[in-house]
Amino acid sequence: MRRRDALRMLGGASLAGLAGCVGFGTRSARTPPLVADRPDAVYYPTHWEGMKTVNVREQNGYRCALTYSYAHRFWLMKPSGITKVGIQPEDSIHLMPVVWDTETGVIPPDVNPQLTITQDGETVDQFAPWPMLSQPMGFHFGDNAQLDGDGTYTVNVSIGGTSTRRTGTLADNEGNASFSFELGFSQAKLEEIAYTDIPADKQGTKGAVELMDMEMLPDSTAPKPDALPGTVRGSATSGDAQFVVTAIEDATRFGGSEDQTYLAVSPRTPYNRTILPMMSLSGTVARGDETAFDGYLQSTLDPELRYHYGAFVPDVRSGDQLTITVDSPPQTARHEGYETAFVEIPAMELSL
Amino acid sequence: MPECVGYASPFHTGFEKRTRTCFPSEAKSSLMADRKKIPRRAFLKSAVAIGGTAALSACLEREQADVPTGPDDLSSYPERQHAWNESLPTDDHGNVVAPRHRVLLYLNYAQSGPPTDADRRSVETALRGVEHAYERSGDGLLLTMSYSPSYFERFDKALPESVSLPAPKALSSFEDPHLDTPDAVVHLASNHAQVVLGAQEALKGNKSALNGVEQPDAALTDAFEVVDRRTGFIGDGLPAEKADEADGVPADKVPEDAPLFMGFKSGFKKNQASEDSVTIQSGPFAEGTTQHISKLDLNLNQWYNQDDRWQREAKMFCPHHAENDVVEGAGDNLGTSSNVDQCGNPVETARETGVVGHSQKTAEARKDDQPLILRRDFDSTGDGEASVHFLALQRSISDFVGTREAMNGTDIAENSAVGQRNNNGILQYIRTERRGNYLVPPRSLRALPPASPTTETEEVTHASS
Repeated sequence: MRRRDALRMLGGASLAGLAGCVGFGTRSARTPPLVADRPDAVYYPTHWEGMKTVNVREQNGYRCALTYSYAHRFWLMKPSGITKVGIQPEDSIHLMPVVWDTETGVIPPDVNPQLTITQDGETVDQFAPWPMLSQPMGFHFGDNAQLDGDGTYTVNVSIGGTSTRRTGTLADNEGNASFSFELGFSQAKLEEIAYTDIPADKQGTKGAVELMDMEMLPDSTAPKPDALPGTVRGSATSGDAQFVVTAIEDATRFGGSEDQTYLAVSPRTPYNRTILPMMSLSGTVARGDETAFDGYLQSTLDPELRYHYGAFVPDVRSGDQLTITVDSPPQTARHEGYETAFVEIPAMELSL
Repeated sequence: MPECVGYASPFHTGFEKRTRTCFPSEAKSSLMADRKKIPRRAFLKSAVAIGGTAALSACLEREQADVPTGPDDLSSYPERQHAWNESLPTDDHGNVVAPRHRVLLYLNYAQSGPPTDADRRSVETALRGVEHAYERSGDGLLLTMSYSPSYFERFDKALPESVSLPAPKALSSFEDPHLDTPDAVVHLASNHAQVVLGAQEALKGNKSALNGVEQPDAALTDAFEVVDRRTGFIGDGLPAEKADEADGVPADKVPEDAPLFMGFKSGFKKNQASEDSVTIQSGPFAEGTTQHISKLDLNLNQWYNQDDRWQREAKMFCPHHAENDVVEGAGDNLGTSSNVDQCGNPVETARETGVVGHSQKTAEARKDDQPLILRRDFDSTGDGEASVHFLALQRSISDFVGTREAMNGTDIAENSAVGQRNNNGILQYIRTERRGNYLVPPRSLRALPPASPTTETEEVTHASS
């Protein structure tokens, strides 16, 4: 039982009277019915929500911004589909600690923050937020949090070591870090956050809400194809995700050898170019009847390529046939508008 | 089983040891019905969590237990303090049923430098006092006395090479636990709350008679100061019953029959190391074992309110089990094993499904196809949070470290869609708060042992009985 459960019971009539409501807004306003017949693609949701930044802290080569928005529904992935996570009556806000590498601005999806919320020295809530994809927010860690109403809270965000291969200067940043924020929360302040309905005729059509302009925060986009290092050898779309392939001669910088080529696959969402992390990708390079490469494309963080999937191959020749197989789609939680896309991602074949 | 439930003062702010009235569990339901009248900081707490003589008195009135006394002559007691299994019942499948109520007393030796023989005698005499009072069994009392690496630092000589007892440390890149350094820990276990409470009070010198047996004029507190007390429970129905005692346990979500908060059974015979295999084989501490105790806070909101049954089963066991409905309820149908041999290779599973199971990963930590650790863990609401006191026995602390490394799944995260914690077994839901390492010496050395015992010392200890 949560203190808040008890509080709800104790609060008696006033809160009980709001049964069926969420916070102080009505359920219908905050969780309008999902669009009927959602496409298996990125689509315009019913509405979008802005966010507030509490503060930005820095330690050990990382910066962390604590941000929040309205509590909202999201979806968790599983092999057979998705699980919807509804808003619970106790949920107060959606808390999002955004951590990035100070030098490069890269947001590392492998560093899973741990959040502890305390008030007057007593723990109010603690959790490891989910890695998530949202149209206006991009990739972030977040979860709905349960506060004890208006007041001042201390939110501690701690991060540990890395778990994804890193190259370049990112490989040097393996430190743990801990960031402490004072969150002055009030329902009134929360409701200052933009909540924008999307016109009914646009809801459910293919497209995406633009990434928000988040002051002081870097974004989680993949580079535009022409900004990728190496020679871009092609691109493919599957499951509404875009996969851009680039080949970089001399794989030394990535941990390979001089006579190897680094083959990098850079998946991103359509419209917003948000990274698509936490997939299992593998690839084969066929050259005539021969197989020049057959193996994992390993998730890697690089200052230039940012989050991508890569492998060392002997070389890349014109006419090589690359097959990209998605063994698992992105295991990130999804916000509305992304939950039906990037779930089934058939293999792609492209000529390099 | 009758359970002792206390009602903390409506105005208390935590778990301070004030006098509290102990209510029987029938009263709990009426308290629940009356909850609207209780200020928000009020919690129902079990008598074991509250502790003290008042809680014990209430338990004795409430818990109708006829606990057999121990023998006058304890000489037949095993040299292995940790040899509990033969004294515990088994379920229909042959799995050992863990004692339901637990108390861990964290102790600091009151003096610097090597212990005195007088203190050794007090400690041994006090321990024998409770052993005379309660039979050595699940319905009676099972106990171990253990000592930390920092305790052994007081001696000029180091521990022998036959004992591997490093100082505790963080065991994953994403945890920052408080490292426990008490000198000693007593683990008290019984199916009866009144027994662990009674033993605790007697060991603190607060009982002249226990279970009708006169207690010696010696107490652990003659030699030690109690610096911490951790409590808990394990067993069918207890987590659901105690869900109200802690913040963060979703109401009505913990299955009624589950032995642990996360809803599944553990400690399957084939997933446990044997007592033989965790026993130190040679040297002066032969017949002893090493013990790791961590405190893990649980996030049950995500586990029960956000994940679904498929995800819980996949993350606790493996996706194969979830996909094929292998686990019924808490998993009693699994028999003597979590059947992880059906789960497949963890990296392949992680790549293909994006999820890897906890049992599936830890099963990789084996030697001669046998698990390395003997779990004697239990759940807790002791500090108002749902948590686990993960107590494990193993021949060497490195066996625990190896098992935890398997659980971290670092190579799996690096090579698949599985994240550092996301979809990586149950790592998402647990936060390591504390870790400590201990040596559980053989019985003959359980009272303030030297780091490098000689035959002579052992004789002294024996002579004190």
